Amino acid sequence: MSDNILEIKDLVVHYETDDGCVNAVNGLSFSIGRKKTLGLVGETGAGKTTTALSILNLVPDPPGKIKSGSILLDGRDVLQMTDKELEEMRGNDVAMIFQDPMTALNPVMTVGDQIAESIELHQHVSSKEAFEKAKEMLKMVGIAESRAYDYPHQFSGGMRQRVVIAIALTCKPKLLLSDEPTTALDVTIQAQVLELMKELIRSQQMSMLLITHDLGVVAETCDDVAVMYAGKIVEIGTADEVFNHTLHPYTEGLFNSLPNLRERGEELIPIKGLMPDPMNLPEGCAFAPRCPYATEACEKTQPELTLMGGTHCVACLAYRDAQFSLRRNHNG
Amino acid sequence: MAENEKKILLEVDHLTKYFNTPKGLLHAVDGVSFQIEQGKTLGIVGESGCGKSTTGRAILKLIEPTSGKIIFDGKDITKYSRSKMRRLRTEMTIIFQDPFSSLDPRQSVMQLISEPIREHRLIKGSEEIEKRTLELMDTVGLARRFVNSYPHELDGGRRQRIGIARALAVNPKLIICDEPVSALDVSIQAQILNLLKQLQKDIGLTYVFITHDLSVVKYFSDDIAVMYLGQMVEKANSDELFREPLHPYTKALLSAIPLPIVGKEKPERQLIRGEITSPVNLPDQCRFMKRCDVCQACCETGKNPELREVRPGHFVACHCVE
Repeated sequence: MSDNILEIKDLVVHYETDDGCVNAVNGLSFSIGRKKTLGLVGETGAGKTTTALSILNLVPDPPGKIKSGSILLDGRDVLQMTDKELEEMRGNDVAMIFQDPMTALNPVMTVGDQIAESIELHQHVSSKEAFEKAKEMLKMVGIAESRAYDYPHQFSGGMRQRVVIAIALTCKPKLLLSDEPTTALDVTIQAQVLELMKELIRSQQMSMLLITHDLGVVAETCDDVAVMYAGKIVEIGTADEVFNHTLHPYTEGLFNSLPNLRERGEELIPIKGLMPDPMNLPEGCAFAPRCPYATEACEKTQPELTLMGGTHCVACLAYRDAQFSLRRNHNG
Repeated sequence: MAENEKKILLEVDHLTKYFNTPKGLLHAVDGVSFQIEQGKTLGIVGESGCGKSTTGRAILKLIEPTSGKIIFDGKDITKYSRSKMRRLRTEMTIIFQDPFSSLDPRQSVMQLISEPIREHRLIKGSEEIEKRTLELMDTVGLARRFVNSYPHELDGGRRQRIGIARALAVNPKLIICDEPVSALDVSIQAQILNLLKQLQKDIGLTYVFITHDLSVVKYFSDDIAVMYLGQMVEKANSDELFREPLHPYTKALLSAIPLPIVGKEKPERQLIRGEITSPVNLPDQCRFMKRCDVCQACCETGKNPELREVRPGHFVACHCVE
């Protein structure tokens, strides 16, 4: 058995629209170890959600097309599975939590029935048994059993997200995909939900792919971090490696853009410009037009993800010069 | 008036806004008072439903306050008629959260930015208006080549720059910023925050900065007011509030922020129980009591605590703070 629950290799996903081809994911590779949580960080349009949908083989087709690559889930390639196998895999092996708990739930079904539905489907038990089990699931996520008879609109945002988590966990998946699970929630509620997720991941011995744009959430929950830009991983490593020994200029830019809670008033250093149009990516490094360290070579050559020590990989040409280091790492 | 004496631009006194709902009276804003000096920023923080946006809108009288007083630039505008308010709209204006829904999709950038100028007849002659529009685009860092673009062709950051240009078009003294960067990515958020700060430095704007994001508000504000269920629970200088929060809710709010730090010393998390209660038919009691860890007997029997000054410039509404 492999050490990794998930191994993605050279994944390429395009959306072929009338206006042209959107290069959403362009040769992406990473893996997630068993019982590990990987944070996938990036801005809007970086291809984070497309990556997650690819793992479930759920990229909307048309216009989406998984062009090439492999996604090994527990050793089996998701992209080669038959429809029946996919159906078995979804929910049982991999479950997904979406950003907006209101649209993820059915407004005309009680939450108890919604949880029971997935238990019934996947575990082939009677509906009565399933409902009893649904109540247990509710208790597990910190909601009173008596509320199984309520409808989603009777719950607050944080409670709804707990229900969504309960549904995702009904079949004890090996891998949980969480797409911005707390972005729609208030900070105090976010803290509660993150705490719950961390606890469940530990007790159920799951792995998790956590998609977020919030570096604070990543620091709080993840063992490993992958930073994504224009459909590629630009830096990956343990949380300590990426946060404390940052290698990629884009990652540095993200940290510099954050208002510092401890010191106030200094001007923020934003990343100049915008993310390139995924229909029209530059020939060389996609970050080069915004990068303060870019040289001529960056505009022509695409950098490969290279191991720099430990588990820390970076895709940046600047490291051809052995002396190179980011400004962030100079002042401790 | 002595020259170095600080000028209060906006004073809000016991502002309330109640909504009649089928279930009873909804206390959206319940007795909020504050002052802002010219050229300064007051940050209003709180979670969804705490009444921060309603406060912002009531100040501009976009919704009619139920009671209380709003004094802007020395004038009591609480009883101003619509037409009188209309004239005042060149002096106080608002930037909205969502740059996607706050711009008319059928107007070009030129039309959008020049609309307030035409509306208030600030400049005559279309050539002059065009010139001013282009200047405004320069001010907010929007490339002139976008002048004939439509909102859907632009990304969130650029759209928010249009929103800022529209606000600046009338040469206001006060801008209410209602979550101006919440819909934007961090790298773009930093660009917009820097722009707003630079504008304040250049033309002495006064801001009411409404947000749920504590790190943004700390970066941006001179003073911060924390709201909970329609009321201010704490108000202090920004540095002091973050260094030494006094109200249990402020403490919990601060400790709930996930910090982007790994492996180094991190303050212990204090989670608060439960969720915000309904703002309908509230009893005269501390509103945070049910979620509070320090709650004592005096909170259960006592009335709703008033905001009082416990240190110079540091106000808190809690029975348990000495």
